[in-house]
Amino acid sequence: MAQYADIIEIAAPAEALQGSRVDITVRIKNTYSSAIGILAAGALEYGVSPWPGIIFPEPSANVNGGVTYSFAGYFTMPDKKVTIHAYSYYYGADGSWHFDDEMAKAVNLVSVPESQFGSIEITSYQRR
Amino acid sequence: MGAVYLPSQYGLLLLPLANVQVKAGDSLRITCRYSHLGKAESQTLYAAIGNSGWAGFDEVLHASKTINVPEDASWNYREDYVDISITTALSAGFYDLYAKIGSTIPKVISPTLLDVVEMLAATPDSQFGEISITGYAKV
Repeated sequence: MAQYADIIEIAAPAEALQGSRVDITVRIKNTYSSAIGILAAGALEYGVSPWPGIIFPEPSANVNGGVTYSFAGYFTMPDKKVTIHAYSYYYGADGSWHFDDEMAKAVNLVSVPESQFGSIEITSYQRR
Repeated sequence: MGAVYLPSQYGLLLLPLANVQVKAGDSLRITCRYSHLGKAESQTLYAAIGNSGWAGFDEVLHASKTINVPEDASWNYREDYVDISITTALSAGFYDLYAKIGSTIPKVISPTLLDVVEMLAATPDSQFGEISITGYAKV
């Protein structure tokens, strides 16, 4: 249970192609009564160590009390199914970021189908 | 004037096409557009000149080449060509064209373009028919 920075949701596609950019949104609610600084972070679990990070161009924000804020992030889809781990931190009175909450969500790998041809047409014929 | 039959909501539609005149020694470049989905693959692009009839396509000349089709995560249109060398195997007259991808068992076959290739009659060897004096003057 989060103390102040409650992760409500990880919005991400259910599947993605290898090498494609996967955009995600981590929605974090400030459950404190007034505005606090909240930071989003994330890592990818798919069998490599250490877990690669997720890029959040704007990872932190001052969020008013009771408000849910959306942090946009992205990563490049690896060659296998990946589990997103999202983390939330709040900015404490001591001037440090404190870990608060965690949520996970899986993104499956889209497999490229076998090669197939749909149609062919002659578009030009020229003497050379 | 050549033509191709295309399916439409009214049945088959005859679309007239311009023809190309060729003679032995020429090369005919046939450009094709095809759609592809899936993993990368090397395939044969094949085109033929001949006569389309009730029993199929009677090929007279043909050519092929290997095309390297890259991976397509969704349906994608690509273009490539094959050159057919024109020889005296074609006698004077009009011929049809078709193309396909694949070899023995084609993966996809194009509509046949009817009467789009006109083989010109061979130019005869040099010969002289007659001669006459058309003038005589002191020079």
